[in-house]
Amino acid sequence: MADLEGLDLNKKKKKKKVVLDLGDEEEKSTTPAAPTANDSNELDLSSMKKKKKKKTAFILDGDENNHVKEENNSHTGVEEEELDLTKKKKPKSKVLILDENDENKDATNDSEELVLTGKKKKKHKILPDDSEKKVSFADGEEADVADLIQDGQVDVGLKTWSGSDRDYTYDELLTHVFEIMRQKNPEMIAGEKKRFIMKPPQCARVGTKKTSFLNFAEICQTLRRQPKHILAFILAELGTSGSVDGNNQLIIKGRFQQKQLESVLRRYIREYVTCHTCRSPDTNLERDVRLYFLRCNVCQSRCSVAAIKSGFQAVTGKRARIRAKAMS
Amino acid sequence: KYLNLQTFHPFADASKGNDTGSQGNVIHIRIQQRNGRKTLTTVQGISDDYDKKRIVRVCKKEFACNGTVVDHSEYGEVLQLQGDQRNNIAGFLVNVGLAKKEQVKIHGF
Repeated sequence: MADLEGLDLNKKKKKKKVVLDLGDEEEKSTTPAAPTANDSNELDLSSMKKKKKKKTAFILDGDENNHVKEENNSHTGVEEEELDLTKKKKPKSKVLILDENDENKDATNDSEELVLTGKKKKKHKILPDDSEKKVSFADGEEADVADLIQDGQVDVGLKTWSGSDRDYTYDELLTHVFEIMRQKNPEMIAGEKKRFIMKPPQCARVGTKKTSFLNFAEICQTLRRQPKHILAFILAELGTSGSVDGNNQLIIKGRFQQKQLESVLRRYIREYVTCHTCRSPDTNLERDVRLYFLRCNVCQSRCSVAAIKSGFQAVTGKRARIRAKAMS
Repeated sequence: KYLNLQTFHPFADASKGNDTGSQGNVIHIRIQQRNGRKTLTTVQGISDDYDKKRIVRVCKKEFACNGTVVDHSEYGEVLQLQGDQRNNIAGFLVNVGLAKKEQVKIHGF
C-alpha cells in the first residue's frame, strides 16, 4: 500500500507541477509590457526558481523513499546555496541603485503587476541598466553581456571582472559555471528530477505459510535484472527459501506483506540498480571474475557491488533441527 | 642511513579493522520467521574482542526476551534473540559504542 500511496503522490505532484507551470505562464502572459528581451529571460529564470523551490518542498513533505530523499537533498542543497547567493548579491545591487531608478519604474508599469513578481522584476530591471553603465567603457563586450545576462549574478560577476584585474572569487566562478550549464542544456532545469517509477509488488497468500509474489517477472523486466539475481537477494534478505513457479510467480516461504516486500525491493534497487555515483537507474549489472559490477549507462562509472550472502541461518523448527543433527 | 622512527607496525591495527572504512567488520542483523507470528533476530559479526555471553545477558534483560549465543564454523559466534529485536539491538550496539552506525546493517523486511 505504501508504494501505491507513493505513486499516487507522484501523480499528484506531477499534476501540481503542471498546474504551477500553467500558472507561471499565465503570469507571463498577463504581465502587460515586457520592455526588453532580457527581462523576459529573467522572468523565465525566476519562475524556474520558484518551481524548484516548490518541487523540493513537495518532495521533502511526504516521501518514504529515503535514498531518493537524500539524493534530492544533495541536489537541492547546491541549488539552495546558489539561491542564497543570488539573494545575497541581488539586494546589494538593489540597495545601491534603488534610489535612482525606483521612481521611474514605479511610474511606468510595475504598479499593475503582482507584488512578488514586481519586486523581482525591479531587481532584474535595474541590473541591466547598471551593467550597461559600468561595462559601457568596453563597448565591444556589450553584445556578449546581453547574451549572458540571464540572471543578476552573472552580470554582477561580469561587471566586476571586466573592469579590474582581480582574481575571481570561488562563488563567482561557481555561479558562472552553473549559469553556463543551464544555458547549454535547458532540459536539465526542467527534467532534473526524473523519478524512477515502477509498479508496486503484488503479493498474495498461498495457504497459510507461503506468500506469492505475483508480478515478480514483470518487476524483473522493469528493473532489467535477471530473475535469478533478484530472487537470490530477496531470499537472502528475508532469510527464507522460495522458488519461481510455472506462472513466473515467486513463492516465498513465510508470511510477508506487500510493504515488506516493497522495502526489500527498494533496498535491492538502491544497491543493485541505481548508479552509486549519479543515481540514475539506467545501469547494467555485469559479472566479471566472480564479482558483480554495476555499469552506469549515463555517467559510465563502474563500481563493484556486494555479493549476495544469506549469512548465518539459525535452525528453526523441529524437523530442521533433526536434519541438522543428522547432517553433522 | 634511514632511521626507522616508527616504533609501531603501520598495519598493526588493520587486522583488527577498527576503522570504519573497512568493509570487514560489518555487523549484520537479520530476522527469521518462525512458526506463526514469531520471529528470531540474529546478530552476526560482532568482533572477537567482546564477550558475546555478557552482551546477550544484558540484551535479554533490556529487551525482555530470551537469547543465546550460537557457535558457527564460518560466521563465528552469533547472537540469537527471540522476537523482532532488530531496531533494539542496532540502537544498543551504537549506544554502547560497540559499532558505529554505518557498521550496523539491518536486513530483512
